[in-house]
Amino acid sequence: MSVYFPQKKLPYLLVLPQLVITAIFFLWPAGQAVLQAFYREDAFGLSQQFVGLENFVDLFQDPLYYKSMMVTMVFSFSVAFLGIAVALWLAVMADRVIRGKMVYQTLLVWPYAVAPALAGVLWWILFDPNIGPVALFLDRIGLHWNHFLDGDQAMILVVISATWKQISYNFLFFLAGLQAIPRSLIEAAAIDGASSFKRFWDIVFPLLSPTTFFLLVVNLVYAFFETFGVIDTTTQGGPDGSTNTLVYKVFKDGFIGLDSGGSAAQSIVLMAIVGLMTVIQFRFIERKVQY
Amino acid sequence: MTDLVLENIGKTYPNGYQAIPSIDLSIEEGEFIVLVGPSGCGKSTLLRMVAGLETITQGDLLIKGNRVNDKEPADRDIAMVFQNYALYPHMTVRANMEYGLKNRGVSKQERHNKVMDVAAMLGLDELLERRPGQLSGGQRQRVAMGRAMVRDPKVFLFDEPLSNLDAKLRVQMRVEIRQLQRKLATTTLYVTHDQVEAMTLADRLVVLNKGKAEQIGTPMELYDKPATTFVAEFIGSPSMNLLDGMLTERGIALSDRLALPMAHDYRGAIKWGIRPEHLQQSDAVNGDFSLQVQAVESLGAETLIHGVLEDGAEQPNPIVVRLSGPHLPDIGSRMWLTAPLQHWHLFDAITQQRL
Ligand SMILES: Nc1ncnc2c1ncn2[C@@H]1O[C@H](COP(=O)(O)OP(=O)(O)OP(=O)(O)O)[C@@H](O)[C@H]1O
Ligand SMILES: [Mg+2]
Repeated sequence: MSVYFPQKKLPYLLVLPQLVITAIFFLWPAGQAVLQAFYREDAFGLSQQFVGLENFVDLFQDPLYYKSMMVTMVFSFSVAFLGIAVALWLAVMADRVIRGKMVYQTLLVWPYAVAPALAGVLWWILFDPNIGPVALFLDRIGLHWNHFLDGDQAMILVVISATWKQISYNFLFFLAGLQAIPRSLIEAAAIDGASSFKRFWDIVFPLLSPTTFFLLVVNLVYAFFETFGVIDTTTQGGPDGSTNTLVYKVFKDGFIGLDSGGSAAQSIVLMAIVGLMTVIQFRFIERKVQY
Repeated sequence: MTDLVLENIGKTYPNGYQAIPSIDLSIEEGEFIVLVGPSGCGKSTLLRMVAGLETITQGDLLIKGNRVNDKEPADRDIAMVFQNYALYPHMTVRANMEYGLKNRGVSKQERHNKVMDVAAMLGLDELLERRPGQLSGGQRQRVAMGRAMVRDPKVFLFDEPLSNLDAKLRVQMRVEIRQLQRKLATTTLYVTHDQVEAMTLADRLVVLNKGKAEQIGTPMELYDKPATTFVAEFIGSPSMNLLDGMLTERGIALSDRLALPMAHDYRGAIKWGIRPEHLQQSDAVNGDFSLQVQAVESLGAETLIHGVLEDGAEQPNPIVVRLSGPHLPDIGSRMWLTAPLQHWHLFDAITQQRL
């Protein structure tokens, strides 16, 4: 009964322009990366030497790489979970609002229009240990804030900055999903003696699960691959690599560490992860949307 | 004992629209009441107020003597069958039926027994583990009824439950609903815009027009003695013929040339009504008036003849005649009819009330 989710095609249509851009700016450089991953280049870029799989062997023996993987996991799932939970809560509230609905909904979409790097700067200012209002407020209530020194605080900061914008996106999908649920279902549950809390968990949430799953994948992909700007403007992967996600590490190792072979090998691992996630996404969405 | 009482119930929507000015109705235990009326007359509004899905803005609603205006739908001990069935799409048939019991803390064993009983009654045994998406329209309808029955509520509410079914299934389910309701003897409020459904199901009918109850009574009372022209035209198919006339000492003058003799005290403009099935074919000597035949609908068991009255009036007066068996008058031919006096209906032309 896909009738409850008439927007099934719309999400794909909406990401189409993004796919085209991806092809030009991702697939082509990706081809280059594949080649580079099998070469080792000296720091000045003067000579290249074919080394086979050595770059990969080095990579998987590097404890820093595993640390970065853990950081990425924690970061991505936190972003996805926080973004989905907050957006769902806001959508449920917005669905109930009768007066001023449009104002409320429009305001909630604004964050999405702000460029990620700008958002990063915004949060960077808010949380700056010396001048940031949020940091100063936290200090006053006895919580010393310095994300340049404290790895956990740095992680919290990048999670908040990265989630912020995703909330708008998730919100729109949840709102559409909520409005597609027939009112009579909720009414039937009310007559069946379900409290509003139970109505949400027994009826609304399961009916939104295809939307939720779709958003989970989209948000994970976003957190994995599209948060470079946020991290670069707030923590630059620090302190001590505590926010050094896989994507940021590619950049750091390649452009700052000048290890182009190692960086390229990391890119290929990332590509494999993207591929895997895409497969999961399509497999599951095909199956789960059906009622 | 009266089970459900509506006292001066009214509804004004938040946007200021008055859907129901005021309705009084008291329903006996086990009675089958049908609310019938054209689209937009407030049937669903009234039903949803009883269900607690719509606030009551005026009057009192009593269930078994208790005022329930401010009670939640769950606390009114009612069950409702929706037009679109409103089955939970992600739950099996069993889970759909159990959900209300579960929320009320009924034990697992008891739930199982109740579901099995109702499933057996409705022939749903085979379908219990399926999801609504895997059922036909008729089966979904049955599950929706099962979900209502399993709770054994004080009152059943139905909002056009058969309107999504095909004609044949509708007749079958109609009979079945009636039998089940008799067996369970649960007070029932049933909304429909289909007058055949209304006539066949109801112990008593409430004909609604623009939020007002035009008439409340048994199907035969409404058929034999419609209180207003609205009810007269609404009940019965094809509709009653209604013609403008004047009551004078000579009788009912339908036009300058045509008058039907009758003794009546009333004087003035009236509407004269007769049902298509009460007109009888006759001849030039005995006929009360004649008809110019314009169309013939042969239905096998009966024939509907559409024509205009040959009364010399400028405005043609259309008349429908329903004759049993096959008849094949030529189009344009003249047909003589008699209208037996005992089947006449007279209404005040201004107030539209029965005289
Ligand atoms: N939420 C609402 N706000 C304002 N007016 C409403 C609302 N719901 C219904 N109405 C109006 O109240 C009147 C009665 O509506 P209702 O749904 O009860 O009609 P109905 O008799 O059930 O019609 P139908 O046979 O088409 O279902 C209609 O004129 C409708 O436009
Ligand atoms: Mg209705």
